[in-house]
Amino acid sequence: MKTGLLLILAGVAALAALPFLLSQGLLNAAIQMLIAALFASAYNLLCGQAGMLSFGHAAYFGVGAFGTVHAMNAIGGAGLLPTPLMPLAGAACGLVFGAIAGWFATQRTGTYFAMITLAIAELVHSLAPHLKGLFGGEAGMSTMRMPAWGFDFGSTTQVYYLTLAWVLASVGLLYLFTRTPMGRLSYGLRENSHRLRFLGYNVHGLGMMVFAISAMFSGIAGGLQVVSNESANYVVFDPALSAAVVLNTYIGGVTMFLGPALGAALMTFFGYAVSDLTQSWLLYQGILFVGVMMFMPSGLTGLIGTTGRLRQRIGLSKLLPVVLLSIAAALLLSMGGTFAVELLQRVFSQDYRALARLDPGNPWPPVTLLSRAWSPASMATWAVPVVLIGAGAVLAWVGRRSLNQAVEQTVDQGAAT
Amino acid sequence: MDQIIVSLMNGVIYGLLLFMVSAGLTLIFGMMGVLNFAHASFYMLGAYFAYTLQGVIGFWLALVVSPVLVGLVGVVVERFFLRRVHHHGHAHELLLTFGLSFIVAESIKLFFGNFPVDYRIPASLDVSAFSVGGAQYPLYRLLMGGIAIAMFVLIYLLLTHTRVGIVVRSAIYKPRMAEALGHNVPLVFMGVFGVGAALAGLAGAVAGAFYTTNPNMALELGVMVFVVVVVGGLGSLGGAMLASLLIGVVTSLAVAVDRSLADLFALFGAGDWATGVGGLMTLKVSSLSATIPFALMLLILLVRPSGLMGEKG
Repeated sequence: MKTGLLLILAGVAALAALPFLLSQGLLNAAIQMLIAALFASAYNLLCGQAGMLSFGHAAYFGVGAFGTVHAMNAIGGAGLLPTPLMPLAGAACGLVFGAIAGWFATQRTGTYFAMITLAIAELVHSLAPHLKGLFGGEAGMSTMRMPAWGFDFGSTTQVYYLTLAWVLASVGLLYLFTRTPMGRLSYGLRENSHRLRFLGYNVHGLGMMVFAISAMFSGIAGGLQVVSNESANYVVFDPALSAAVVLNTYIGGVTMFLGPALGAALMTFFGYAVSDLTQSWLLYQGILFVGVMMFMPSGLTGLIGTTGRLRQRIGLSKLLPVVLLSIAAALLLSMGGTFAVELLQRVFSQDYRALARLDPGNPWPPVTLLSRAWSPASMATWAVPVVLIGAGAVLAWVGRRSLNQAVEQTVDQGAAT
Repeated sequence: MDQIIVSLMNGVIYGLLLFMVSAGLTLIFGMMGVLNFAHASFYMLGAYFAYTLQGVIGFWLALVVSPVLVGLVGVVVERFFLRRVHHHGHAHELLLTFGLSFIVAESIKLFFGNFPVDYRIPASLDVSAFSVGGAQYPLYRLLMGGIAIAMFVLIYLLLTHTRVGIVVRSAIYKPRMAEALGHNVPLVFMGVFGVGAALAGLAGAVAGAFYTTNPNMALELGVMVFVVVVVGGLGSLGGAMLASLLIGVVTSLAVAVDRSLADLFALFGAGDWATGVGGLMTLKVSSLSATIPFALMLLILLVRPSGLMGEKG
């Protein structure tokens, strides 16, 4: 526990020091990472802790965002609240809308619940463009950050600290919520709601409250987005945002409290970092998600716990080769996969086809990748990803086998003593 | 009047199309308890496969081959993905199919680009069947409706009048008992999953030529198909048929209504007040046609949570 606390303090200190280390562009990316982390944490309260899978969480994010825009534009642009408190408007809107939507959605559980959340999100998404007064139509709505409390909020640094303060406070509150009796009950909702009902708890009311609280924190995330961007568009209701938070949360891992936040921050960072390099980032994200769901259901942060348990069980000396093999396999597989996807993307792109049509004598002109020309017609080009993926698969298989052997040995030893 | 007839026919045929996709989805749900998020992706794959193949083997053969290919994809998904995570529970399976739908959509964008492709019905079919009040009614729409009805009859007969149908129904109703009696239930599951995917693929191959074929078609139709199965009752084939027709007709008729809620209030003398309120009140019903199915779904869940013809609570 003590090392955990120290790690968190070090993390907070590092986050506070970021504006001195990063450029403006990267600082903007850091703001987006913080917002995504808060959104994923809020989502995880609902899906990870209470076991209610929502496929429409963008609705609450968006409602919070538009609530904040309206609050900032209220009273002739002066704003309903001082700028640092603006996300409170998003929180209020998220809470109210979340309570209404949650009342509907938590009537049912499991698959039905997921479908209702999807339908509510689509309802808002299809309605939003038509309600110009509320959501600003195609153009969206813009606003201005007013100076308050001696800050002018003109620089990215000030916005970053504002976002950081809100995100830390919100994530802290979300953590404290899990320690309250109601937070504990939400685990019961996931594990066995029938038993909870049998014990005399109001399961529907509890589910609705958890839903509303999750929506409230999503609303804060939406509000922070508006404070940072000074605008909101009905695109925030897009299913892509709902999908992103599901992917981020599960890639990060729902078994640890900070897992979703770390996953979201990591994915947002990669999305920002590779947006110039590739057009297929969403494809990689999808493949990573499916890989996580197939082979490590507890997510990337869950790996830490698994490794720790294995070390206790089979000892460091036997675990180390397995870990090294796994890392090498993961590297090879991702290198091969990326190479194949990028090659395919270039070969099937519009530009390439137009180029190929220009010169009928040479139907497969070479493509440039990693500052080298590769001919799509030659076997050698396609052998590169095939060899990489094959080698990765072999390493993964060897690693798995040696892990199984090591575990079996310890089981045998345990039986002998 | 003529316009209403045309709208009705369009709605029925759109409903039949929805049924072609939702039939497989609801069968798979009834059997395995997993709602396949990637089901509408099979519909999209059917359209893109047919588009790719029609240049090589012609439109009609492509209509036959692409559902078979999609069915094979479905078999792979069931055998190598869903079955491996089955022990983690239904939520996990739902999430996995969600991820797969994401991969399919992004792969389509990778291979065909993020824009509609030029998949059209052949010129020989692009003729009108008859005319209603001066408007020509396309033959191809009737063909789509006919294929859907033929499919419904075929599935119905297969499930109720053949030995295979009995095994499938028993595997859906009591999988453990069917297994204990010596039937290969995993094989049945794989088969039904493949057939369901192939049906969605057929719907895509047929409808993709008439409507647009683009990387978003899975999402657009998919959400509507979920509405259909929830309204009809998860696991009920008859319910899926009823709900498909209902939603098809309602959305199609709503497009033609040039009225708003304020007009309704005007009947009671409160028109000016409603116009003053604005927002939802003054929106035309026609612009709400995409919203109505979702409102209908919430209404159904409120008054009859198990759906129109559903039994499983």
